[in-house]
Amino acid sequence: MPGYERAELTAELKVLPSGEGGSRGQIEAAKTAAGETGLAHEAGPETMVLAGGRREVLDAATRVVEAALDAGAGGVELKIEAQGDAPRFQAQG
Amino acid sequence: MTAGFPTGAMPPAPTRVRPEAPVQRPGRIGEESVRIDGVPKVRGEFEYSSDLWMDGMLHGATLRSPHPHAEIRHLDTSEAEEMAGVYAVLTHEDVPGRKVYGMEIPDQPVLAWEKVRYQGEPVAVVAADHPETARRALEKIRVEYEVLEPVSSAEAAMSEDAPRLHLSGNVLRRVKILHGEPANATVDVVVTGEYEVGMQDQAFLGPESGLAVPDGQGGVELYISTQWLHIDRDQVAESLGLAPEQVHLTLSGVGGAFGGREDLSMQIHSCMLALETGRPVRIVYNREESFYGHVHRHPCKMRFEHGATREGKLVYVKAGLVFDGGAYASSSNAVCLNAATFACGPYDVPNAEIESHMLYTNNPPCGAMRGFGAVQACFAHESQMDRLAGELGMDPIELRLKNAIEPGMRFPFGQEVPHPAPVREILEKVKNMPMPEERDLEGRDLRELPGGVSNVTHGEDVKRGVGYAVGFKNIGFSAGFDDYSTARVTLSVDDGEPLVRVHTAAAEVGQGLVTLQAQIARTELGVERVAVEPADTRVGSAGSTSASRQSYVTGAAVKGACGQIRERIFERVREEFGEEGSLALDEDGVLSDGRVIVSLVDLVGDDEIEETLEYHHKETHPLDEKGQGDAHLQFAFAAHRAVVEVDTELGLVRVVEIATAQDVGKIMNPQALEGQIEGGIAQGLGLALLEEIQVKDGKVLNASFTDYLLPTILDMPSVKMEILELSDPEAPYGLKGVGEPPTISSTPAIVAALRDATGRSLTRIPVKPEQIAGIADRPPAEPPHPGSAGYAEIGRLDERREH
Repeated sequence: MPGYERAELTAELKVLPSGEGGSRGQIEAAKTAAGETGLAHEAGPETMVLAGGRREVLDAATRVVEAALDAGAGGVELKIEAQGDAPRFQAQG
Repeated sequence: MTAGFPTGAMPPAPTRVRPEAPVQRPGRIGEESVRIDGVPKVRGEFEYSSDLWMDGMLHGATLRSPHPHAEIRHLDTSEAEEMAGVYAVLTHEDVPGRKVYGMEIPDQPVLAWEKVRYQGEPVAVVAADHPETARRALEKIRVEYEVLEPVSSAEAAMSEDAPRLHLSGNVLRRVKILHGEPANATVDVVVTGEYEVGMQDQAFLGPESGLAVPDGQGGVELYISTQWLHIDRDQVAESLGLAPEQVHLTLSGVGGAFGGREDLSMQIHSCMLALETGRPVRIVYNREESFYGHVHRHPCKMRFEHGATREGKLVYVKAGLVFDGGAYASSSNAVCLNAATFACGPYDVPNAEIESHMLYTNNPPCGAMRGFGAVQACFAHESQMDRLAGELGMDPIELRLKNAIEPGMRFPFGQEVPHPAPVREILEKVKNMPMPEERDLEGRDLRELPGGVSNVTHGEDVKRGVGYAVGFKNIGFSAGFDDYSTARVTLSVDDGEPLVRVHTAAAEVGQGLVTLQAQIARTELGVERVAVEPADTRVGSAGSTSASRQSYVTGAAVKGACGQIRERIFERVREEFGEEGSLALDEDGVLSDGRVIVSLVDLVGDDEIEETLEYHHKETHPLDEKGQGDAHLQFAFAAHRAVVEVDTELGLVRVVEIATAQDVGKIMNPQALEGQIEGGIAQGLGLALLEEIQVKDGKVLNASFTDYLLPTILDMPSVKMEILELSDPEAPYGLKGVGEPPTISSTPAIVAALRDATGRSLTRIPVKPEQIAGIADRPPAEPPHPGSAGYAEIGRLDERREH
């Protein structure tokens, strides 16, 4: 992540759809679940980023993965990055 | 999606020769020092980023969404790809790395997929052998949109049935400050007010532009006008899928910034095109495109309630601020925080309840602009102070003096007010400065009447008004950000004379930082010849040229690195000459008790003495859940007095004079300081009277300098200034950042003067002629009368002063 992103933990999730017809629904299911966590931003057509505290991001990532799999996705690529100095970074003036 | 290359072998990747650092002979700090970039700029010889050129380079162009909110149904680039002279057509599918970027939150697409969220959002980019070919290729790209209803205001974004513009909704940030017990406070007088600030543009003259050059090894060199090289580099590398070390940025000539270059514009696009084609690619936005290509000042609506005793002592402030952040986050988080922390003004407020909201909308993205957050809040709190003065029948200056905050008190966000905090002193200064002569209106040169020669009156209905305001802002990055700068300083002998080279990544954006760095080196090492290397990413980060921070942070880094070199010289002298006493440096060399021990030429010889220092300022902290915390590094204060003449029938204004008093800690370069103060006032005047990006249903209506009104030299009044040098014990040389305070309180001072002249409430800026002339949608419930803005009981201030 760029050095200015100051969440303690970020999780990038890319939905790997299965089957031709349902791929959009699978991605939508994951994005809806991500949006409900309050931590999410879109990062690509099939990709979203969760950013926040360590525990909340890990819990949210689990919910997004489950939503994608429940909708029939073939898998979810997950990349998690910790920001070493993140706790001090809340905002810039 | 890359078009076939024209026939013929690909030329080898050309390289660009790194520009040389010109040698200066600067003055020491505190002395006038001629700017090394001044003469070339005035002569038109300065190379701005839009002037960059390489033989064989291609020209990039950007396809933008015409809609503020739409779904992309289909995107077809095939026809454009087949055009002769077109080398590449790229869409989001061609972004090699992360498809989004952003300084605080990476939420902005490099190139849109599926959805566009603001008018002008980039959808595709083209590289061609001529700018006109690139432009025509854009016309050949077919995009099928399904247009959606835009969310065109912050209020609309907050409604329950508003579409969610981002996955987690439309609220980007909320900051709440609770101080004391405002709910239980007992007061004699309450005044409320609602205020609005329009969307101001930074209006820099140099459009977004840069040149990307492949390095032949998979990486890229980018020559760019920006405010923060390293944050650009990190974001570019992330989206290119490269390591940061593979992306090198060099600052090119910056034609103004004011916050508008803190976010990326064409950086990633030009690098993508360069890497795709193997050729240098230059992108230069045109003026209209520039309005879509950078963020703007946040529009804001604010509701304030002030409670006070009959004697005029503030008891509480309650405020709600709602900001329109536009489509993407940019630095909106920080703006929201700043506005909350500065909402009460530089006053002792024992009880406060402040709530600041930042919303996503389909309007142009908003972000950093000179004084952000503090500008909006200052207009409201100063308008409220005048309103309260009117309610109390009190002199507005006396009310401010009675409530001025002082060192040792606490701001409503809990931080102790550090020394110096000369609110009282600067108010007294502007109050006591001589007023400009009040000259007869009749027979006056038309150019000296409101509206100038286009005025159809000869002075009839022209009234004079006087207004005051005081404001403050944080200097440097806040709330826990590990803010730092890096300086590499080298001492050597060149052409038989000592030469100091200073290398930082700090962006010179026109404020005079290159000269200041040279002055510091000259002061610390006593060497007359100084060369400031071009800023680039070959040295560590200097952070952003924003938040009025570079003189403080990069100044401290250069000072510190020079200090380390000085110590190494002294060590060598002690070793080689056995000197035990205290040593000093000046033009003649190393001195002991005023006696020259050795010249620097002899001492340094063929060596190079080099030191690199990373300066971190003291730690700051995030606000807690009640909005309390030591969030800010330093505070800078300024006060303004505006004298205006208003044609009350036509709504035309002439600002006769601005008087200002500002504490700068230490005058580093007198001419540069004057330039910052006058320039900041010009932008404050623009916000008060002229400057607003007109947005309707998410669409910009005035994306040109014909329709976006800027103050010119004819609008700019004379400026009287009194400078205080109250040293900040924690800052290098005791200095304070000076760039932003002139913008903050000049605006409300001008509006207060307009109120004084017209008697109208004028709660929205920029103030338009129809508001001044009282042309409203419907007749006012109560006719206005001069003096109703706080001066009614005691007469106009300028009249009172004469008796």
